[in-house]
Parts: sequence; structure tokens; C-alpha cells
Amino acid sequence: MARRSRSSSQHPWLIAAAIVLVGIFVAGAVYFATTSDPYRTAAPLDVTAYLENSNSLRGNTYRAEGEISNVLGYSATEGRLISVTIDASGEIVPMLIPPELGDVNIQKGQKFRFLIEVTDKGILKATHLTKA
Amino acid sequence: MIKPVLPCLMLLTASAAFTQVLEPAPAPPPQPPPQQQGNQESPDRSGAGAGDPAGGMPFFDPGTETITWNGRSWNIANNRIFQARFEKYLNAPEETEEQDGEYNAIISQILSLLQPRNVSPKSLDEAFALLPKASEFRRDAGLCDTISNQVYSAWQSQRNRDRLLAANNALDEERRRLERNKLVSLDRLRLSMTRDQRGSIRGDRQQAGDDRTTQQKLDDARLDASVQPFDTRIAEVLAIRKANEAKREMAALQAKIEFQALIVQLFLQRRFEHVLIATRFYRHVFADGDDRLRVKGEAKDLFDKTTGLPPTVGTLDSMASEAIRDVAEGVEAFKFLMEREETESASKRLAEAFLVGEYLPPIRTLPREEKRRALTFVQKANQLLSALDVKDYARAEKLVAELEETAKDFDNSKPMAAIQTAKTIAAMHLAKARNAAVSGDRETLEIELKAATEIWPRNPDLAEVSSGIFTQGNVQNQALVDLDQLLSQKNYRQIFDDKERFIAAVAHDPTRQEQLRKVLEEMTLIEGAIIRAQEIEKRGDYAGAWESAELAFRQYPADSKLNQLRANLTTRAADFVRSLRQAEELENRGQPGSSLAWFLKAQHQYPNSEFARQGIERLTRQILPDAS
Repeated sequence: MARRSRSSSQHPWLIAAAIVLVGIFVAGAVYFATTSDPYRTAAPLDVTAYLENSNSLRGNTYRAEGEISNVLGYSATEGRLISVTIDASGEIVPMLIPPELGDVNIQKGQKFRFLIEVTDKGILKATHLTKA
Repeated sequence: MIKPVLPCLMLLTASAAFTQVLEPAPAPPPQPPPQQQGNQESPDRSGAGAGDPAGGMPFFDPGTETITWNGRSWNIANNRIFQARFEKYLNAPEETEEQDGEYNAIISQILSLLQPRNVSPKSLDEAFALLPKASEFRRDAGLCDTISNQVYSAWQSQRNRDRLLAANNALDEERRRLERNKLVSLDRLRLSMTRDQRGSIRGDRQQAGDDRTTQQKLDDARLDASVQPFDTRIAEVLAIRKANEAKREMAALQAKIEFQALIVQLFLQRRFEHVLIATRFYRHVFADGDDRLRVKGEAKDLFDKTTGLPPTVGTLDSMASEAIRDVAEGVEAFKFLMEREETESASKRLAEAFLVGEYLPPIRTLPREEKRRALTFVQKANQLLSALDVKDYARAEKLVAELEETAKDFDNSKPMAAIQTAKTIAAMHLAKARNAAVSGDRETLEIELKAATEIWPRNPDLAEVSSGIFTQGNVQNQALVDLDQLLSQKNYRQIFDDKERFIAAVAHDPTRQEQLRKVLEEMTLIEGAIIRAQEIEKRGDYAGAWESAELAFRQYPADSKLNQLRANLTTRAADFVRSLRQAEELENRGQPGSSLAWFLKAQHQYPNSEFARQGIERLTRQILPDAS
């Protein structure tokens, strides 16, 4: 009986300590996550709006993260045109990687974070990208 | 009705021949041969020549069933007037009543009295006396009276001639008397002149010579004056005598010609017994041995061309006797053949005998029951001829079958040959008409149909074929109209569904053929696309099926069946279709980025999408014009 009473009296402390630790861990993770995205200041790309009417997004800069689906074409002057599956929506969007970013190896299946700009013709043009 | 028809039937030329007999008088213009039976007449003057076995009789040729008479050929079996008369005869009762027998007996008695070996002035008078008696009978039709009148006229003429002869004798006597008186007068005058001359010689010689010359002149004048009245009178007498002589000869010739005309008329009327009576009277009335027939024109040809000899009264006598014998034999042959049930031959023999000897006793006394046995055959034979005449070959064939049952000896070869030949030729023309109809040769079609109709107007196949051809023509025309309408509506599906009808209709229309060919080629492609889409659909690949249908639809948007299939598949692959349409819409709106995103989405939904692949490639080239 005495042993049982002692153990039940220790549980609230243990539970409280665990919650605090988890809270600290989550807060740390969130903080790390938010502070680790270099384009976190940019707004995320609204893929749905883009699919409906890209003209409405022209001139804006967005960030997006996704997986390389395919390389659609390459031009020495214009750069590379790739298709990216956006993680947030699962939609596939085309994206132009200009020659300035030609030093980045891009392959199908790789995940990248992009800072993108919507050009005149509604083409998504990456201005920065980092591997995710 | 019989009377007007008789002259036509009775060897057809009686009146024409009769009017040309009177040689001395100006004859009326020759009448043309009768034409009312011209449908059966075939001029054949060269054929009716001296070789005529009937010796001038109407000659019947059993091979052609024609009778040759006066240089013309007549088909006795196909002569409507003859047919009518013959059928009437077959239905008429036999003339065996008491008065018929009495008439026959009188005629026989007359002929017997006029037999050349029995004839005498007494028998001649007896025969002459019987003529009026015979003419009282209806059957005689007054012909014996006519003969009697002619004989009497001839005798009168002869008496006139005798009177003229007596007058001439008196004139001869007068001439002789005048000649005697003239001689006596001359003698007296010469004697007186001789006494005057002697008295003057006794004076001065010189003066006497001058006086003698003067006296001679005076004497000659006196002589002429004294005989002149005699010469004048003698000349008058001689002239009167010559005139009388001419009158006498003319009267004799006139009497002969009139008598001969009667004989020829009786012969042409086939009154052969009366011909015999007349010729035998003629010989006794004109006993000068001159029995040459004075006929000319067609009447002369009638005898010349049939006998080859100048016609005489004796020729007519022998021909009439031959006709009487021939008719009797024909009737006997008829009776014999009927006993053998050879109806066709029997009927023909009776028809031949009837044609020649319609008024002779063997024909008139033939029992009606015997004749009626042939009537059925004759009626059907006449119907057969009529059926063949109007080209009703179906009926003709039926009649041939009936005739074969009626007569054991009926020869069907000729009618059946005609029937089968006509049928075959008609069938050939119909076959050609069918071919022409199929090939669209309307001109040939009309010609062949016309030919078939002319050969066999009541051909049952003719109506059937005509109807079929015209129906076919209507169907063909309707098909062409429909085709034109459907082409203008671009309703190729309907054309494809009725392609058999349209292919047949445009078989001979190159322009429409080309149009139809293009339509059917397109429809073949559409049908292929539909089949492919349906096959893909069966595999559950709705997006692929839709894409196949859409591909064909973009080329042939008017096809209803394809449209329907495409609509059905659109609902089944709605997301994919929506992605593609959205992509195309945005591409058209000049938003290649969004458009490319939709194409990529569509390709993601259906990786094998050709539309998506093409859209992606197209937009990629747009975004990266110098892409490698």
C-alpha cells in the first residue's frame, strides 16, 4: 500500500516535466524550421491562383518547395525549363531556371526550395534555389 | 349483207373482168383489183403462170395454204371474209328439201339435153324451155333466166342478120338490073351514032374529016350523059350493101360478145353448172365455129396466164367441168377424213371445196351434222390465226394445245415455231432492256422495250419488267436526290449508313461517284476511330478512348455517332478532359505558364496523352525558342 502511494504521488511531476520537454522540443523545432528556410520572408506560391490565371500574379515573388518532376527543355540563353511538383499542393508547375543558376545540378526527384518570380507571360522563373 | 360481199368473195374480180369484155365498144377504164382483202393479198403475177395444175382454176397450194387466182395469192385460211362465210356455211342446214332436189333435177336435165352427143334442135328447144322453170328456184338466183334472155337475144340478133342478108340480096339484084340497063342503053346510043356518021361521009372529004372530029366529041358527051345515072345508082347500091354487110357483121359480133360476157361472169361467180349450160347454148346459137373469147385487159390475162392459150368458150366449159369434179372429190375427201378424225385436213379440204364450189350440189347438200364436227376446229383455228395476227402468243399457245386435243392430225409446228420465236426474241429484247436499265442507258432501254412490245404486246413479263425498271428508276432518282441533300447537309453518317443504295445509284454518275468516294473514305476513318475508341474504352482507359475520339472529332466534328461517343467518354474522363481544355484555353489566352501547368497536370493524369505531350512540346518551344 505504502509503495503504491509513493509512486502515485510522483506521477504529476513526471507528466509535467515531460510536457515541458516536448513543448521545448516543438518550439525549438519550429524555430529551427522557420529560421532554417532562407526564403521564409517571401509569400508561398498560391498554386491554385496560378493555375487559374497566372497573369494576376505577374511581377510577384514567391517561395515554393517541391520535387523536380522533369526537365522539359534547355536553352543556353534562356536556361532550363523544368516541372516541379509543389509539396504544399501536389500540383505540377513549370519553372524556368535561368542560366545564372546554371551551376546548380538539377535532377529528377531532387527536392528544392525556390524563390520564384512570375514573369510577363506568367512563367515561373527561379531567382534562387536551394536544396531542401 | 351477203349480196355486197359476194362479188368481193367470188373470186374478187368478177365485175372488173365483166366490164372489160365488150371489145368493140370503148371499155370503161379497168377497175383496180379489189383491195378489201388486201391484207391477205400478195401480188405474185409471175408465179401464177401456165404451170397452174388446176388449169385456170383458182389453184390452192397446200404448202402455203394460199390460193392463186388471176396472178395474185390469197391465204384462204387467213381471210376474214372467207372465214366468216365458211363458218356460216358450216352452221347452215343442208339444202336437201324437196325443192332443192327438184332444182337439181332440172339443172341435171338441162345439162343432159345439151350434152354434145345428144343435142338436136328438139333437145335444144326443150332445154331452152326448162330455163325459166329452173330460174323460179331461190338457189338459181335468176341465172337461168339470164341465160334464157341471152339465148333469145342472140336468136333475135341472128334474125336481124338474116334480114340484112335478104336486103343485101335485093340490093345485089338491083345492082345487076342497073348494070343490064346501062349496057342496053349504051348499045342503043352507039347504034344511033353510027347512022349519023355514015350520012356525013358522003359530002366533001376535007369538010367530012372536020365534021367527024366534031361529031366524035358530041357522041362522047352524049354517051357519058346517058350512063351517068346508072353509074350513080350502082354506086349507091354498092354503098348500101357494104353498110348492111358491116351492120350484119357487127350485130353478129355484138351478140357473141354479150353472150361471152355472160359466160365469163358466171364462171367468175363460180356458177359452174350455169357456165356449162351457157357454153352449150352458145355453141348452137353461134355455129360458125368461132368460139374465141373476145376479152381483154385483166380478164384476158386471167385466162392467158392460167392456161397459156387464147381463151375460148371451150376452155371455160372444160374448166367448169373440172371445177365440178374437183369440188365433188373435195367433199368426198372431207367425209373420209372426218371418219378418220383427222379434223384439220378434213376442214382444209372442205374449205378448199367450199371456196371453189360454194354453189355446187355436193357442197350445198352436205349434212349440217357432218359440217359441225369441223366447225369447232375451224373456229379455234380462226381464233389461233387471230391470236397470232394480234401477237397474243399466250392465247395462241393455249389454242394450239386445244387444237391438238381436237384434231389428231393438227400440225403445231408452224404456230409453235412462230410462238416460240416471238417469245425468244421478246425475251432477248427484255434482257437487253434490263441491262440497259442497270447501266443507265435510257435510250437503249426505250428502244429495247419498244422492240419487245412490238414483238409480243401482251407479254406478261413486259409489264413486270417495265414496272420493275420504272420502280428501279424511281428508286435510283430518289437515291440521287437524297445523296445531294445529305451532301449539302454534310450528313456523311446517313450517307455511310445507306451506302449500298447510294453506291448503286451513282454507279454511272462520275461526279457523284467521286463525291461519294470521298465521303465513304472519311467515314471509314471515322468508323476506325470510333472502333479504336470503343476498344480502348473496353480496357477501362477512358482518357485514352476520349483522346482517340477527340482526335477524329476535331477532323470530322459533324459526325453524330462520333460526337455521341466523345460526349460519353468526356464524362468518363472528366478530370483529364478538363485539364486539357483548361490548358488549351489558357494557351489561347496567352498564358503559356498556366497552360503548361495544366498540360503537365493532364499528362500526369494520363501519361500516354498525345494531346498533353504535344501541348507541352509546343509551349516549351514557345518559352524556349532556341531550346535544343
